[in-house]
Amino acid sequence: MNKILLIIKREYLTKVRKKTFIISTLLFPLLYLGLIFGIGYLGEKSKKNLTVAVVDSSGYFDAGRIARANSKDSSSVLVLTSMKVDSLKSNLGATTFDAFVVIPAISDWKTGLKNISLQADKTLGMETAMPVQSKLNNIWGEIKNEKLGISDSTINQLESSQVSIKPVNINDENADSKIAGTIGYVAGFLIYFILLIYGSQVMMGVMEEKTNRIAEVIVSSVKPFQLMLGKILGIGLVALTQFFLWIAFIFIVYNVTKASGAGDSVSGMVGGVQKVFSSINVPLVLFCFVFYFLGGFFFYSSLYAAIGSAVNEDMREAQSLSFPVTMLVIFSIALMSMAMNDPTGPIAVWGSIIPFSSPIVMMARIPYGVPGTVPWWQLGLSMALLIAGFVFTTWFAGKIYRTGILMYGKKPTWKELIKWAFRKN
Amino acid sequence: MPLLELQNLKKYFATQKAVDDISLSIEPGSIFGLLGPNGAGKTTLIRMITGIFYPDEGQIIFDGKKFDPVNDIGRIGYMPEERGLYKKMKIGEQTLYLAQLKGLTRSDATKKIKEWFIRFEMESWWNKKVEDLSKGMQQKLQFVTTVLHEPKLIILDEPFSGLDPVNSNLIKEEIYKLAQSGTTVIFSTHRMEQVEEICSQIVLVNKGQKILDGTVKEVKQNFKENLFSVGVDQLPGSLNGNSPFEVVGNKEQAFVVRIKAGSKPNDVLQYLLQQGSDIHSFNEILPSLNDIFIKLVEGTPTARQFQQVNN
Repeated sequence: MNKILLIIKREYLTKVRKKTFIISTLLFPLLYLGLIFGIGYLGEKSKKNLTVAVVDSSGYFDAGRIARANSKDSSSVLVLTSMKVDSLKSNLGATTFDAFVVIPAISDWKTGLKNISLQADKTLGMETAMPVQSKLNNIWGEIKNEKLGISDSTINQLESSQVSIKPVNINDENADSKIAGTIGYVAGFLIYFILLIYGSQVMMGVMEEKTNRIAEVIVSSVKPFQLMLGKILGIGLVALTQFFLWIAFIFIVYNVTKASGAGDSVSGMVGGVQKVFSSINVPLVLFCFVFYFLGGFFFYSSLYAAIGSAVNEDMREAQSLSFPVTMLVIFSIALMSMAMNDPTGPIAVWGSIIPFSSPIVMMARIPYGVPGTVPWWQLGLSMALLIAGFVFTTWFAGKIYRTGILMYGKKPTWKELIKWAFRKN
Repeated sequence: MPLLELQNLKKYFATQKAVDDISLSIEPGSIFGLLGPNGAGKTTLIRMITGIFYPDEGQIIFDGKKFDPVNDIGRIGYMPEERGLYKKMKIGEQTLYLAQLKGLTRSDATKKIKEWFIRFEMESWWNKKVEDLSKGMQQKLQFVTTVLHEPKLIILDEPFSGLDPVNSNLIKEEIYKLAQSGTTVIFSTHRMEQVEEICSQIVLVNKGQKILDGTVKEVKQNFKENLFSVGVDQLPGSLNGNSPFEVVGNKEQAFVVRIKAGSKPNDVLQYLLQQGSDIHSFNEILPSLNDIFIKLVEGTPTARQFQQVNN
């Protein structure tokens, strides 16, 4: 036991002191925030406010309506013009207009206005064209309402009496499926990344020990199984450390933002977070996250360790042998997105009970509420099976590892690996 | 009482009888040579002694008791042929780690490492990484990590490969010292001249079986061919039928003669003196271990064939 602790300690300290760990711990949240805000910012940036000339042949679009529409929404400006289409086309660059629309002459207002072109001397994106469309639609709607004799007050009544629905689980009135969905999605993906990234770290670590030829030196001091377990536990602790650092990071950012006080966006964010806390059972979700993260990690990383022990220094060998294992992880993510659409359906239930996919699928379901969406028996069964699952894979991997770590030469096939595992002593 | 006793040890793999009924015993304080061609089963045998493999059959008696890998491996130091260290780890830390895995406490290990580092002039290495060392330096470090915990039994597989003569000697001296202080050393190699120099007892394995066992002296005596080197200026012109020897060759002003069955070396001298030859040297030529090795192993296929094992 003491020796396993030594191995864990070495593994943990070497990994945590590495620059890549420090950088990835700091960079991941920054990248994540950067991605969220960056996309929003770039979206805002790429949207351009246009000045659009309106050539009206229908006689409905008069200066008064256009001015009213412009006053309501300043994203782009419509200007009624008397210029001819041909001269606009040839001289667009010289005018103050970015683009123009031609409203055709229409015999009857009921036929509507379809397929109007927004013409410009460059290609405009939909992001840019949409505000122009909605502005024209507003004007056209006003014209129609007038024709139909609908007053403003009637319009208000119509608009305020829309139906809106929100899914509510009668077992768990607090649950907010939108928030739960987001949390579930994030948690599922986080586990997915951790399994793949840290799983392959275990594999590389084992390969390193084998190709460095230190494995035989160490297994003359400890049992191969202890060496394997020490490696897995050490790297698991590294992953856990990284996770808790991120939680701490979120906590600090949240508190700092809260303390900085004023501003609509800040209070909106704080309110959002408080809503999350009130609608989901945060301690339970956190506990389950750590459980499924560790369970899934043990389940998969022992398989990755077995593969690492079986191959030689060739990365391609490792990749081809680990392909089936990686596919299981990717398949779990596919199951998860199906489960998200129907969190109580058969795919979701079975996917969250069977050990290979349960870490990802169950984690995506839990935020919807326990026992509302996930009955206690399902959670219990899933956890028990996951424990049984990783005990089995660890045992299985230990057998392969013991043979593989001292075996040099040809890359074994999965069939041979299974033979190693079930061979007596 | 022998320190290590192997009794009818067997280990079969799917396509190889890697170790097929080997028994031997090793006295404490001896330097024991484990010899054999590639693939003879030496590594498998060693792996059983170090607790890495379990024998299929047979028993290992270590220090008077049945070998118990979990507790006894702390008293064994093993330097495998396929050896290595963590390249990116600092040398001091790494040596400490390996010593602690052998069961030393941190403070004990630190003290001993410092002593060895001073003895081998490695004090400045503590904060260097293994990748900064040359192959020979790594070898020295590897030797230190093997003997640091003062094991009763040290197993060295090709310990001198990659070492220059100066460092070879340094390690050889340490091996002698360890043996004198009562440590038993098993020494596995193909380099016969080193075996002759260092080992007191040898075992030759081939195809999983022991084909030779004894002290170096005994073995040589057993394989001697009654050859003598006679330094004379001129052999008697014609050797008549009743001369007690025949000439089998000559080299550097000496003749190699084989004494005929029934005759003794003294008969040769007597005969030569009678013939009036001027003798200035007379030595027995004992076969080198190298010759014996080749003689015994020759004729068997150089590579072991895969075979069907029924178990």
